[in-house]
Amino acid sequence: MFDAMHTPDNVLLVGGSSDIGVEIAKSLARRGTTRFVLAGRDLEAMQRSANAISSVATGEGVSVSVIFYDVVAEKSYQALLEVASTELETIDYAIFATGALGDQDEDENSPASTLEILEINFSKLAPAILNVANHMSKQGFGQIVVLSSVAGIRVRRSNFIYGSAKAGLDGFAMALGESLIDKGVKVTVVRPGFVKTKMTSHLKAAPLSTTPEEVAKATLAATDHQNASVYVPSAIGLVIGVYRHLPRALARKIPF
Amino acid sequence: MKTQRQLLNGWGRTQKVTSEVVDLKQITDTENIFSEANGAGVIARGMGRAYGDAAQIAGGRVVIQEDRIDDSQLSGNHLTVHGGVSLNSILNSYVPKGYFVPVTPGTRYVSVGGAIAADIHGKNHHLDGTFTNHVSQFELITPTGTHQIDKDLDEDIFWATAGGMGLTGIIVKATFEMIPIESAYIKMETRRCTNLDELMAVMLGSDDKFRYSVAWIDLMAKGGDIGRSVLTRGDHAILDELHGKRAEQPLKYVANTKLEAPKWIPTGTLNTVSIKAFNELWYRKAPKLRQDQIATLASFFHPLDGVGSWNRIYGNSGFLQYQFVVPNGQEETLRKIVERLSAAGVASFLAVLKRFGAENKGLLSFPRPGWTLALDIPIGQENLSSLLNELDDEVLGVGGRIYLAKDSRASGPTIHKMYPEIDKFAMIKSKLDPNGLIKSDLSRRLGLI
Ligand SMILES: Cc1cc2nc3c(=O)[nH]c(=O)nc-3n(C[C@H](O)[C@H](O)[C@H](O)COP(=O)(O)OP(=O)(O)OC[C@H]3O[C@@H](n4cnc5c(N)ncnc54)[C@H](O)[C@@H]3O)c2cc1C
Ligand SMILES: NC(=O)c1ccc[n+]([C@@H]2O[C@H](COP(=O)([O-])OP(=O)(O)OC[C@H]3O[C@@H](n4cnc5c(N)ncnc54)[C@H](OP(=O)(O)O)[C@@H]3O)[C@@H](O)[C@H]2O)c1
Repeated sequence: MFDAMHTPDNVLLVGGSSDIGVEIAKSLARRGTTRFVLAGRDLEAMQRSANAISSVATGEGVSVSVIFYDVVAEKSYQALLEVASTELETIDYAIFATGALGDQDEDENSPASTLEILEINFSKLAPAILNVANHMSKQGFGQIVVLSSVAGIRVRRSNFIYGSAKAGLDGFAMALGESLIDKGVKVTVVRPGFVKTKMTSHLKAAPLSTTPEEVAKATLAATDHQNASVYVPSAIGLVIGVYRHLPRALARKIPF
Repeated sequence: MKTQRQLLNGWGRTQKVTSEVVDLKQITDTENIFSEANGAGVIARGMGRAYGDAAQIAGGRVVIQEDRIDDSQLSGNHLTVHGGVSLNSILNSYVPKGYFVPVTPGTRYVSVGGAIAADIHGKNHHLDGTFTNHVSQFELITPTGTHQIDKDLDEDIFWATAGGMGLTGIIVKATFEMIPIESAYIKMETRRCTNLDELMAVMLGSDDKFRYSVAWIDLMAKGGDIGRSVLTRGDHAILDELHGKRAEQPLKYVANTKLEAPKWIPTGTLNTVSIKAFNELWYRKAPKLRQDQIATLASFFHPLDGVGSWNRIYGNSGFLQYQFVVPNGQEETLRKIVERLSAAGVASFLAVLKRFGAENKGLLSFPRPGWTLALDIPIGQENLSSLLNELDDEVLGVGGRIYLAKDSRASGPTIHKMYPEIDKFAMIKSKLDPNGLIKSDLSRRLGLI
């Protein structure tokens, strides 16, 4: 259940080893959430996440469990919901933080890699989100957070495979949110710019880069106010707003 | 049976959920109310004036009743009505006949079922006790059948249901004693107090001379102004006290909703500055002392009902009400809490302070002898949650408690400690509802049963 401050009792973090996802979970734990399920591939890394979450929790009797989930595995969307809904009496707040950047230059020459990036970031993740959304709709309430990206708002030459997958995910999640308006289920789409995490550790930080902590803070503020989407940092929303409307020929010249 | 999934929330507009809403009149076989709900839970709902999640069950079934006064029956001073009938309808019908409800909350838009389930109190608690003190019997639909509950014959079920937040069953009919009145007016006294000590001294000294008494405190005042307040007290006016038009039609009852709050207001319209300014104005406007003023029932008891849907002014994130009681003799704790709220700069319109008289046998009833303070707080202030948790501990530490009808955020363990008779309550409930089919989001959140 939620309390009046929109603090959930039970949280499902999909992408249990995601730097951003764990930071959001920690923020909820600081507020008093006590029950977490982390879903992902790397059980050891998720155990570390579990410890990090428990160590900052303020509520009594914190419990974090870890379950295996691979986005691209056959029908994993079904297994995810089955296990999560047995672990949690109600799924109050679900964070979808899985994602893979891929390597644009290599992926462009490999249809198989292209397919994999599209699957991880969109086509095989969307059914999992939908499944959880339908479950919440039946339970009569819930909050979903989907990690999108500015890369999906204006898909750029430099990473159009990842970017187009995020574009698909973003559109899917936004419209799903609209479809759930009178169902008591909220969807909040989070669109960070460059965040310093293990996903980007091999890259040079882009302008307006931010941190998992900032993304977590903005995410909670957005879910508190029941906003459908949020840019982090908020300034990047303005930048992208302008950029989107530049003629292609001009936009191509901008170096990011 | 026609059912409908509907988005519901309490008066604070915080926890929004969907439930299947069923009108009792569409149910021909009352046994099916519970069995057909697929175990997701069933709870009664009145007019949705509880602040939090008491009158909803996400994914389950919510049973509502019509506000239908046409077949009410008055026998002597005893009125029998359906559970869904509002105090508003009762006042409209019976004030002109010379009767007032035994207890009214700060709004007349509550149902009789909700009044019993929350065991509500009014400005007369120090003398008259709660609403259920005046109830003699009710009819309760439960999974084990429909029961006629008499206060003297079925003490256990009666006092589990009084204050039981709908968790023992659905109240479909009730009989209670009305107050005979000579007029639709209150003879009122208004008194401005400059601080908390002065206010409490006046209340202790002379509250018992008035049937109705309540004080409004400006919790945003700082320093020497902490606890500045306006105390209003009164009694039903008798014929001799009325003049002019009022004397000609002493029982003419007027109660209108004049304004409607806008449907959509951006979050943040209300802020510390605007609330402070309002409180300041309101305090300055009050007279130092005015006696023998004649006020209408509506303006004395239900000033907030003059604006429809005023709960929308708090915007999208909604608001909560914090109401607690501390026992007599614990005035220091009351003062400490007032000072903490004031220091924390919690943006709050006037808080209500009132003295409670004797408690009744309601197992989950809120009032106990002492001081009760209630204040509305917009959601959004940083650290509100931890502040209120700390206040809960203060209250619990001196044997006080918080009011379930207003709660939307407390922790289960705290509530269990505040209501030590909860185990007895659970036992009686389990006899009426052996499979645990009656539950609400409140009961789930707090682990009440
Ligand atoms: C502006 C305002 C001022 C208020 N002032 C006061 C006050 O001065 N004193 C006070 O005590 N309270 C006060 N309240 C709280 C209010 O009186 C209670 O919450 C009351 O229960 C609301 O009645 P309702 O019909 O709206 O019930 P709801 O809010 O719909 O339901 C409240 C509870 O009653 C149960 N319930 C409702 N109907 C039935 C039924 N037929 N059978 C069984 N259970 C039922 C529900 O399950 C739920 O647990 C105030 C509320 C507001 C909004
Ligand atoms: N960092 C940024 O600059 C940035 C910017 C905008 C948006 N985002 C988005 O934010 C989200 C979180 O990213 P992050 O920065 O926190 O990076 P991260 O730490 O690398 O997290 C990504 C997570 O996705 C998981 N994952 C990848 N493929 C998976 C699969 N097939 N099955 C299950 N889990 C899989 C990873 O798990 P493993 O440990 O098993 O690999 C990892 O936990 C992602 O959606 C990302 O696209 C990030």
